[in-house]
Amino acid sequence: MPIQPAQRTGQGFIDISASFQINPLNDDLIALKNESAIARALKNLVLTVPGEKPFQPDVGSNVSALLFENFDKLTADSIQSEIEYTINQFEPRVELNKVTVEADFDNYEFNCTVEYYIVGIDAPQQQLTFALEPNR
Amino acid sequence: MPLVNFSNVNFDQIKQSLKDYLKANSNFTDYDFEGSNLSTIIDALAYNTYITSYNANMVSNEVFLDSATLRENVVSLARNIGYVPRSRKSAVANISFSVDASNTSAVALTLKAGIVAISNKQVNGTSYVFSIIDDITVPVESSGVAFFNNVNIYEGTYVTQNWTVSSRNPNQKYYLTNSGIDTSRLKVVVRESQQSTVSRTYSQFNSLVGVTPTSTIYYLQEAPGERYELLFGDNVFGAKLQEPNYVTASYLTCNGPDANGIGAFTYAGRLIDNEGTVVTRGISLLATNSASQGGTSIESMDSIRKYSPQIYASQNRAVTAADYEAVVPQVYPEAESVSAFGGEELDPPAYGKVFISIKPYNGVYLSSDIKRNLQAELRKYSVAGIITEIIDLKYLYIESDSRVYYNSNLASSAAAVKAIVNQNIINYADSSQLNKFGARFKYSKFQNVIDNSHEAVTSNITNIVMRRDMAAALNQFAEYEICFGNRFHIKNHGHSSVYNGTIIGYNIKSSGFKVSGISETVYFGDSPNMDQKTGTIFLFKLRSPTEPVIVKRGIGTIDYVKGEIKLNPIKILSTTLTKGQPVIEISVTPYSNDVIGLQDLYLQLDTSKSIVNVVLDGIDSGDDVSGSNYIVSSSYSNGSLVRGPIVVETTQSTSTGTSAVTTSVSVSGGSQTTTTSTSGGTTY
Repeated sequence: MPIQPAQRTGQGFIDISASFQINPLNDDLIALKNESAIARALKNLVLTVPGEKPFQPDVGSNVSALLFENFDKLTADSIQSEIEYTINQFEPRVELNKVTVEADFDNYEFNCTVEYYIVGIDAPQQQLTFALEPNR
Repeated sequence: MPLVNFSNVNFDQIKQSLKDYLKANSNFTDYDFEGSNLSTIIDALAYNTYITSYNANMVSNEVFLDSATLRENVVSLARNIGYVPRSRKSAVANISFSVDASNTSAVALTLKAGIVAISNKQVNGTSYVFSIIDDITVPVESSGVAFFNNVNIYEGTYVTQNWTVSSRNPNQKYYLTNSGIDTSRLKVVVRESQQSTVSRTYSQFNSLVGVTPTSTIYYLQEAPGERYELLFGDNVFGAKLQEPNYVTASYLTCNGPDANGIGAFTYAGRLIDNEGTVVTRGISLLATNSASQGGTSIESMDSIRKYSPQIYASQNRAVTAADYEAVVPQVYPEAESVSAFGGEELDPPAYGKVFISIKPYNGVYLSSDIKRNLQAELRKYSVAGIITEIIDLKYLYIESDSRVYYNSNLASSAAAVKAIVNQNIINYADSSQLNKFGARFKYSKFQNVIDNSHEAVTSNITNIVMRRDMAAALNQFAEYEICFGNRFHIKNHGHSSVYNGTIIGYNIKSSGFKVSGISETVYFGDSPNMDQKTGTIFLFKLRSPTEPVIVKRGIGTIDYVKGEIKLNPIKILSTTLTKGQPVIEISVTPYSNDVIGLQDLYLQLDTSKSIVNVVLDGIDSGDDVSGSNYIVSSSYSNGSLVRGPIVVETTQSTSTGTSAVTTSVSVSGGSQTTTTSTSGGTTY
């Protein structure tokens, strides 16, 4: 009998939800899948301060520190390059397309938009938008 | 897949095992990505496991004497087998001075306990205080002068501590609150009450033998922070303290070995006459009879680990040779290393004797006084009828010659690399890997020390020779036996010292000396027999530094396998080297680069004769990547034919008449004589 090649089916990306709420359908924890799992991971990475993860002092970005620099275009550029570096360095599941950081002087916050493709699953270009504001 | 490795203390491995578990047992897939929520949870779990493993590891380590790292735990574990670690010991100096009391009516003067003198000069930036622990009273002589002769003064500050026993405090503790106490100078006195004038001196508990419910003894144990605690009896083993007993403990807090070697003092004591008047005039300068010595540090954890089981095994009795090795450091804390062996191991045997070699921390040999005192002390432990004999150390020196290759891009200068390597060699020479009986010089470890000295060091070529210093008995015929305890390497299989145009020298190398019947300075050389296991020793002189001339053959034998040189009776007149006594250095290349200190040989790395040369590693530095100009270093010892100052003959004539050397000789045949006795037989 000929040997059958191993059947390999990708499960996609499944992460646990940080809300720890119960899915009423199966009484299990809510899972984040594919696009939402990756969007959450990107945000986690950007908001992780280097040294926060035990024994991995390099993981994370310095965005938190930059938020307390002068509120100007220069800082926005720094944040943008920091986000680009962090995602390229620590998130192999995405192919970064573009990162935009705009300083919103009225609300004293930076509006960030990350555009990326997901590697390995069939999905259109993703766009993740979030605001960063200094918060003591 | 179960988690099996519970003892892992590596965070990454713990995390990996959690990931492996998820891989096999979960629908979640994002554990591999650092940004995921799951990764954060795994981090938290792994960190928790890591901390738990670390704690479990530390706790289990601290439970055993061998692996405990905190001193209080080591001490506590040793206490379970009745071992009290040795305290710091104060240095002792001996002084004399006089007091002119002719202008007073005093008939006696008392030097009060407490500070007596201060060191004249600062040692290591500190002045040291010397005290006495008991009052000393001397009469004023008819000349009106009182003499305080041969007063032992102890380095340290004299401290007195008091407690009133209270029955309302059932857990009353008697802590000596100062650190650095010399417990051998501790004095404990108990009075009925604070007002009582009758006092009883308590002695330290040593053995249960003779202890009764009324014995005035105290127990001593080390408390955290290198402090000590006094414990008293319970009316079963020793008298119990009652309220309102008043306990006074007097002791010295000292600086241990830091205060050794101080020889000049200034008076700072308190003198009173028989009427209680303080005397401040007429006090002479302090004459030092002996400089301070004998200060030692508190017993190290290594030493506690080593000796506490031995002392427990010996039960305060010296029966086997190992018992002596355990007991000697107790009665003589300055012993850095001890080796003992029974006389029955000797050839010929000396039954009923135990031979002990001791290496003191300060110095090389023990004085006769210390040997005598030590023998008297050991009588308390040894079996009746056994004679202990304390013999001088036999040193086996190792000399290293290292060529250290370095990458110039990583070092500020060659001198800096050399300095660090030298310092590390000195540290290694002082380490406990050597400096003990039964030590082994581990060649690979030594090379590793050099390689790891500096990041610029790329490799090293190190040659090793063994050396013994033969003390020459001048102007008398004596036979000598020099044991190295290690097999010799034979590089010259019986050729002349110059072979095929290359100076290969002889297998042994000695410093120069003069013997009866030969006017020139001569040196030892050797010639292997056909079996390449034994050989003969001859004397040669130097016509030039590279031109030896053999002047007398057959003056002794050499056993390359046993590592032994025996000299027939020879009359040595003088030596070119003197180290407190005339010596002839004899060096030889070992068969194995790992050199052992056999039996009573005490192994030392002689850093003063060890050489370090730094060589640029052109290949690693990038200057000479092809290695065309690589500087090659030989892995085999070579160089001068002899040791020490090279003395060449001044005239071309060779002396004769050496036959006188071996005639009319009367020496004992006992080649195993262990002391330099007058019999002439000397074993090294």
